[in-house]
Amino acid sequence: MSIAEIRHLYKEYPTFKLCDVTFDLNKGQITGFIGRNGAGKTTTIKSMLNLVHPASGEITYFGLPLCGNEAEIKKRIGYSTGAVNYYPRKKLKDIVSVTKSFYPDWDDTAYHEYLTLFRLDESKSPSEFSDGMRVKCNLLMALSHRAELLILDEPTSGLDPFSREEILEIFIMLKKLGVAILFSTHITSDLEKCADNIIYIREGSIVAKSSMGAFSRDFGRGNETLEEIMLRLEKEARYE
Amino acid sequence: MSKLLHKELKLSASKLSFLFIAFGLMTLIPGYPILVGAFFISFGIFQSFQSARETNDILYSALLPVSKSEVVKGKYAFSVFIELCGFLLMGAMTVLRMTVFYDSVVYRSNALMNANFVYLGFSLLIFGCFNAIFIGGFFRTAYYYGKPFVCFIIAAFIFVGIGETLHHIPGFEALNAFGFEHMSVQATALAAGVILYTVLTLLSLEASIKNFEKTDI
Repeated sequence: MSIAEIRHLYKEYPTFKLCDVTFDLNKGQITGFIGRNGAGKTTTIKSMLNLVHPASGEITYFGLPLCGNEAEIKKRIGYSTGAVNYYPRKKLKDIVSVTKSFYPDWDDTAYHEYLTLFRLDESKSPSEFSDGMRVKCNLLMALSHRAELLILDEPTSGLDPFSREEILEIFIMLKKLGVAILFSTHITSDLEKCADNIIYIREGSIVAKSSMGAFSRDFGRGNETLEEIMLRLEKEARYE
Repeated sequence: MSKLLHKELKLSASKLSFLFIAFGLMTLIPGYPILVGAFFISFGIFQSFQSARETNDILYSALLPVSKSEVVKGKYAFSVFIELCGFLLMGAMTVLRMTVFYDSVVYRSNALMNANFVYLGFSLLIFGCFNAIFIGGFFRTAYYYGKPFVCFIIAAFIFVGIGETLHHIPGFEALNAFGFEHMSVQATALAAGVILYTVLTLLSLEASIKNFEKTDI
């Protein structure tokens, strides 16, 4: 079942162009969004969140167009990025007390469960947390308002292998609960452990979108890993 | 809107915004250009915008389940709240000077602007300029605040200069009335201040909403 439909997104910058980006995100599936730095992953994600304005294209969530239903849709989705650190000097419990007032479906029981699962101390501020714990903070907020779709922009970048493993286990648990996840990353080995689908973007255009198995079958040679496939495709594109 | 104001007060605001409200007490300083107090209160609000950028507040707000126009309204609501707190303090001190200290020698011998309703009108004009020039300028990019603040400083000190000069010009002495003298002139100046503050703030709010809707974050 499709939770989000992205159709024909175009966005032009002086040195970069997002061109006809189209894909779907399905309930209970993890979709890996891969491409090298500057390929258009973050621009696509920001367009999906109405943070940047595509020149054209349609974005619908839960059958509702984003335009005109932004507030309603944002109650049902969560966004997390490893790079951004909100209110670093405020205590987590203060950030949460404000955030939860915006979400009518906020689940305090779930919040305390995830707080324990993630081993976060709500009396600490984000500046006292490690990078991995900050990612978990963002996930904590998204999960406590029962987000049905998580949009994650490089959430595991900069994390040690153990923290990445922990976060991937959480994603797999969420997938089983029916949460859809868009997982943008260039650490392709993470996707091999959890992704159902792959969307591969290069220079602003979608090069491939298929199930994980079909992607390896169609683009891989022998026992190539996702990283090896991507490296080879990037090199081939450079010499074309 | 109340939720966004709560968010501004609890997460985004710099403590200096609240502390600088106390500059309203400058109204009591004799022989001092007391309009500068309104500038300092605005400077306190500027600190919150500075802190908001450092803490990724705009991105956090834009991701909340509210429209982008409500994010802008939240920022204006916070600024108006601080300005009104400052204005109430300035108003209370002004009434004190107009009544209890009406005949005080230090105020009677004051060559600079008196604390009266004209002063309060000018203070509102400075707050209105802050909303129009600084906040309006900030929301052109939702990121850069240096140039809008410099423009506001220039405008604020021009109005401080006008306020301090005007009552020395023959025919305008009533602007520096003591106590409840020349009440019609004083009330008119205050009413003009209220109108200008309201118009500048609302026009700036409207422009900021339009600009923020178009801004890529």
